[in-house]
Amino acid sequence: MIRISDLHKNFGSLEVLRGIDLEVSRREVMAIIGPSGSGKSTLLRCINYLEIPTSGEIVVDGVRVNREDLSRKAFQKHLNEVRTRLGMVFQQFNLFPHKTALENVTEGPVQVLKLDKKDAEARGREILERVGLADKADTYPAHLSGGQQQRVAIARALAMEPAAILFDEATSALDPELVGEVLKVMEDLARGGMTMLVVTHEMGFAERVADQVVFMSEGRIVESAPPAELFSNPREERTRQFLADVLDRR
Amino acid sequence: MLDWGTILHYFPFLLKGAVLTLEISVISLAVGLVFGLIAALGKLARNPLFRWPAAFYVWIVRSTPLLVQLFIIYFGLPQLGIRLSPFASGVLGLALNTGAYNAETIRGGIEAVSRGQIEAARSLGMSGALTMRRIILPQAMRLIIPPLGNNFIILIKDTSLVSTITLVELTLTAQRLIGSTYKPFEMYLMAAVLYAILTTASSVCLSLFERKALKGYGI
Repeated sequence: MIRISDLHKNFGSLEVLRGIDLEVSRREVMAIIGPSGSGKSTLLRCINYLEIPTSGEIVVDGVRVNREDLSRKAFQKHLNEVRTRLGMVFQQFNLFPHKTALENVTEGPVQVLKLDKKDAEARGREILERVGLADKADTYPAHLSGGQQQRVAIARALAMEPAAILFDEATSALDPELVGEVLKVMEDLARGGMTMLVVTHEMGFAERVADQVVFMSEGRIVESAPPAELFSNPREERTRQFLADVLDRR
Repeated sequence: MLDWGTILHYFPFLLKGAVLTLEISVISLAVGLVFGLIAALGKLARNPLFRWPAAFYVWIVRSTPLLVQLFIIYFGLPQLGIRLSPFASGVLGLALNTGAYNAETIRGGIEAVSRGQIEAARSLGMSGALTMRRIILPQAMRLIIPPLGNNFIILIKDTSLVSTITLVELTLTAQRLIGSTYKPFEMYLMAAVLYAILTTASSVCLSLFERKALKGYGI
């Protein structure tokens, strides 16, 4: 579903990604863990081109994302199409504050997919119900808790019927007591067969839900394994050290 | 002290001048908003072909006095064969002037909308133009409206300068009436009151509009 080969990203002289190879299959949940500054978020943001990779190849749902052969205008159009197929959930939610929860969810389908407004609203309400917010459809983000806002953000991504959803530290900005409700929604999605790439600090979630866990450090993938293996028996010293650090802190 | 008889007698004449002031203000305001939006988007553009002319426009207008700008348009341009009526000259000068200030106001508002909003919109596959129209501008409005209202009030007061290019608006009406009545205090006082009414009315309209733009912010 998502295939990345030899991805590099530099910010000026700083090398943030140093050759990433990664493959997420359909219906697979991949968790990316690692210390801050390891390049996890940059990797995720490169996939839908919120960051422009320096080199390498990204393929989403059989479509190559980076297309140097296209003119700037044609590439923009191509990129917009790719992005409709890829949901993105941000650490800071980034809900549109001037729109209600339902309007946030229907904005993409109506404006981008050109769905009929009535249909989009009916579907939007269903999706809000799926994330447990049926009663908040007409509420503005300012009146929602962080956990509720993030669930609306997930609903907004779902409404586009994406092939995969990218989660960029979706629970890191939440008060501890609100983390659970968001993780539960993500877990439900995973069980429902959604392809997910999840950058997270929630080791419990990675262990419980992910099919594959990738440990990143200093712009490289140090190791990648099913959670049972990676958490109980990491091959690399660097991974062991990181796990010892985060598990100690809890 | 005040000659109320003169005031009552000449009030309708001043009111007529105020109507022209209002017309000039409203048209300049509308045109100035369009100029401002275009120049703001120009200054924010990546392409220097848009950015430089917009930056030049804002710079030249803000660094020269409005009175001189009006004189160039009304007295100077005919030398180049461009002859505009006093009304057209006045509206053009005022619109260009207020447009430059609006441009900076609008640009500031747009730039203040958080980067995350743009990223969220673009991740939904929205184009740059759609993102601007549906996501950024509505949010920028909230920040733009109060300072824009300030620009409007300045514009209304600045219309008095077009009296110098023979437009018989409120200020020139008062001046002319003084010529025949020798009552400068009464005449200018009436003009001042009428200006105050115009600016206050526009402030009230704007605050009503502002309340609409604040929808959703929990205020």
